[in-house]
Amino acid sequence: MKSRTYNRKKILIIFLGFLGLVTVLTARLVYLMVFEADYYQKKAETLHEREREIKAARGVIADANGTALAVNKTVCTVSVIHSQIRDSGQVIEVLSRELGMDAADVRKSVEKVSSMEKIKTNVDKKVGDRIRGYELEGVKVDEDYKRYYPYEELASKVLGFTGGDNQGIVGLEVMYEEYLKGINGTILTVTDARGVELEGEEENRREPIPGSTLYTSLDYNIQSFAQQAAENVMEEKQADKVAVILMNPQDGGILAMVNVPEFNLNEPFVLNTADSGANLGEEQKQDALNQMWRNGCINDTYEPGSTFKIITTAACLEEGVVKLSDTFSCPGYAVVEDRKIRCHKVGGHGAETFVQGIQNSCNPVFINIGLRLGAEKFYDYFSQFGLLGMTGIDLPGEAGTIMHKKEDIGLVELATMTFGQSFQITPVQMATTVCSLINGGRRVTPHLGVRVADADGNVLEEFAYPKGEKILSEETSATLDMLLESVVSEGSGKNAAIPGYRIGGKTATSQTLPRSANKYISSFIGFAPADNPKVLGMVVIYNPQGVYYGGTIAAPVLRDIFDNVLPYLGITAT
Amino acid sequence: MEQPPRERGYDKTLIAAIFALLVTGLVILYSTSAYNGQVKFQDAFYYLKKQGFATILGIFCMYAVAHVDYHLWKKLAVPGYLVALVLSTLVLLVGNEYNGSKRWLSFGPLSFQPSEYAKVAVIVFLAYLVTRNIKKMGKLTSLFLVLVSILPIVGLVGTNNLSTAIIILGIAMILIFISSPKYMQFVWMCVLGAGMMGIFLALESYRLERIAIWKNPEKYEKGYQTLQGLYAIGSGGLFGRGFGASVQKLGFLPEAQNDMIFSIICEELGLVGTILILVLFLVIIWRFYVIASSCRDLFGTMLVSGTMAHLMIQLVLNVAVVTNSIPNTGITLPFISYGGTSVMFLLIEMGVVLSVSNLIK
Repeated sequence: MKSRTYNRKKILIIFLGFLGLVTVLTARLVYLMVFEADYYQKKAETLHEREREIKAARGVIADANGTALAVNKTVCTVSVIHSQIRDSGQVIEVLSRELGMDAADVRKSVEKVSSMEKIKTNVDKKVGDRIRGYELEGVKVDEDYKRYYPYEELASKVLGFTGGDNQGIVGLEVMYEEYLKGINGTILTVTDARGVELEGEEENRREPIPGSTLYTSLDYNIQSFAQQAAENVMEEKQADKVAVILMNPQDGGILAMVNVPEFNLNEPFVLNTADSGANLGEEQKQDALNQMWRNGCINDTYEPGSTFKIITTAACLEEGVVKLSDTFSCPGYAVVEDRKIRCHKVGGHGAETFVQGIQNSCNPVFINIGLRLGAEKFYDYFSQFGLLGMTGIDLPGEAGTIMHKKEDIGLVELATMTFGQSFQITPVQMATTVCSLINGGRRVTPHLGVRVADADGNVLEEFAYPKGEKILSEETSATLDMLLESVVSEGSGKNAAIPGYRIGGKTATSQTLPRSANKYISSFIGFAPADNPKVLGMVVIYNPQGVYYGGTIAAPVLRDIFDNVLPYLGITAT
Repeated sequence: MEQPPRERGYDKTLIAAIFALLVTGLVILYSTSAYNGQVKFQDAFYYLKKQGFATILGIFCMYAVAHVDYHLWKKLAVPGYLVALVLSTLVLLVGNEYNGSKRWLSFGPLSFQPSEYAKVAVIVFLAYLVTRNIKKMGKLTSLFLVLVSILPIVGLVGTNNLSTAIIILGIAMILIFISSPKYMQFVWMCVLGAGMMGIFLALESYRLERIAIWKNPEKYEKGYQTLQGLYAIGSGGLFGRGFGASVQKLGFLPEAQNDMIFSIICEELGLVGTILILVLFLVIIWRFYVIASSCRDLFGTMLVSGTMAHLMIQLVLNVAVVTNSIPNTGITLPFISYGGTSVMFLLIEMGVVLSVSNLIK
């Protein structure tokens, strides 16, 4: 049988039809591979690329001399990649042994079908290196930074600590977060569908920028000495807690801020009590932790008591309602309206000048001059001295002043306020206000942060704390210095005296609310040298047992501190 | 009545093109399958070894078949067709399942896909049938009868391999078209076929879903494979990522060595390389066309035309599916996609064509 002409014609038709289809498909290919190429390439890239974050090292927090108070420690995160595990038995055995974990827990993670499962974070670098040494397939050891505080409890409530993502949670860590955190970098790697990185593909890497170093006004030596002194008196007096603030009255820089009991910053979630809060419920434990982290110097208010007489004195002298030579008579109490307000000395101080009145810390004298000043003026000075507002310290959660409304201040309220009762302020507000009155009369801003610098030490930003308003005349300030020096040299503050030094100061003993509980706060504010104050210290002892007079128990604490700190600061004895 | 055949020598261009395509195909298959072989069988050469074995076996078969006078196949056309029917029935009963389809018969360590054999059997059977009835081919009834004669095999194969059934039907249509002197009846058949297709699609909602996926592969989970193929094609650009450098084959495009291998060619070799591969196919089909037209013996013409139809349909459908020009259906790329049976029987078909080219009168 022969093939015929029409057969060949039809074969040609089929062949040409095929060529037509191939041409159409080629056009389609050109469209996809030339005109749509960018679109599909981008889609494919996002599918292939995996972004891994490289954590930036957090900035160091250093003291005034450059001693690092908060640094970074390299730790490891151990994870498993399910699809890459070859010998799951060995992986489980090695990981549970090296990480000290229950084999059943490890097994659960190893057998879980997920792209990547974290086994343990914050693993010591040595352990991480050891695990890496086994070269187990499917086990990944990533390095990471963890905040580390080399001095553990030192200034714990000031420095604060960081959370799981290395972000600041309390204290300076949160206040200076923007400077400290740095900028995380990224690695873009090409992986196969199982997430395994491809060798030979170039990595797209953006380097992390480490956080800046924060230099503070704190001084490691002063802080640790003050902490030691506070711990001693807390134990000796069985007190609830003790706070110590040391600051520069000229610029407001804080040299030390102690709140004992402190806590270990490397274990911020372990309670600092004897049993670590073992018997507490979840909620109670959280409350206890929140209490433990509180910086009492700025987060809590108290009735300052007699140290506030410094402020009453400044106001009355400035207003001219009292002269140093004015004489008073103390019968042991003062009657204001229908109330009999007692002096701490039951028999009374008898006849005394104003100078003796302040040396004796005599309540009737201050009630007297306070009434001379009047409620309105008193309130105005209270406001002028900056006591109504906040100090603006660079720590989070500063508490405000709890004060009567101006129109509610009657004579009884006025009388109690003159010796520091019936209102509440924070210890740091008290210390700052006294600084501002004795330094020639300019309001200072208490602060810790001084400057930030990059890792190479180049200063990036210098923080300025300009002296604020003039709140007291130079003369009154000088008179105040002289008066307070006499309190230490001749009066109730004599336990703070150190031979060869001119020290000014004022004691306080205040009963906490409710008065019926018979709990006291003993405190002392002192500064040196009295004629040109370079350092001011404040000691507050909460609920001491036994003798509770500020002059007896708080003044000696500051004397001990000053005895060491004054020579350290280069203030020489005369 | 038949003149004694005169040897004219084998078509050298065709042989060169076949071997060029075989070698290129194996290299591409290795590049594409190495990752999957490593992951699944811990052997990057797993797929290459199996394909290489089938190819070598196929080359021997091709050599043998090329040396046989193709008129011998006339005698084997009917028995061969019956064997195809038996094997296709067997595979439904005792076939091995892989990826949810029963398509393989096992003979010891070897497995075999009867549907691939069925294509060859149908080509030979139809060439024989048409040659015998060539005078009546203009009649509608004989067209109808020829179609009916292959319906059993189309039904059996189509039970779990719709794509191959469509290819078989396509080969039959082209052979009938070539054998008939008329045109208009085929236009009507196309219209009828389109209508049947519409009903067929509408009958099962999952078939309509395929159309929806085809239009918007990004919106459907089942569009994943199509979309990954498009990513690979687009990523190729003009000159490709370079040989061996495909990323899509690394598990993103599932079973990259099978139906979608063309997209990996695009990704690695780019538009230029892909067009070169297409040109190799075109050269082979062009030689088929030349041999079919110059063969004065109708049976030879029909054998070559059937093989040409087979290769054309599979190439066009595969490229069309991979480029998402038509809805997805599983069709392999001849000589390149992984599949030993397919390569072996393709080579046997090449042997048949070569023997025809040798004995052109």
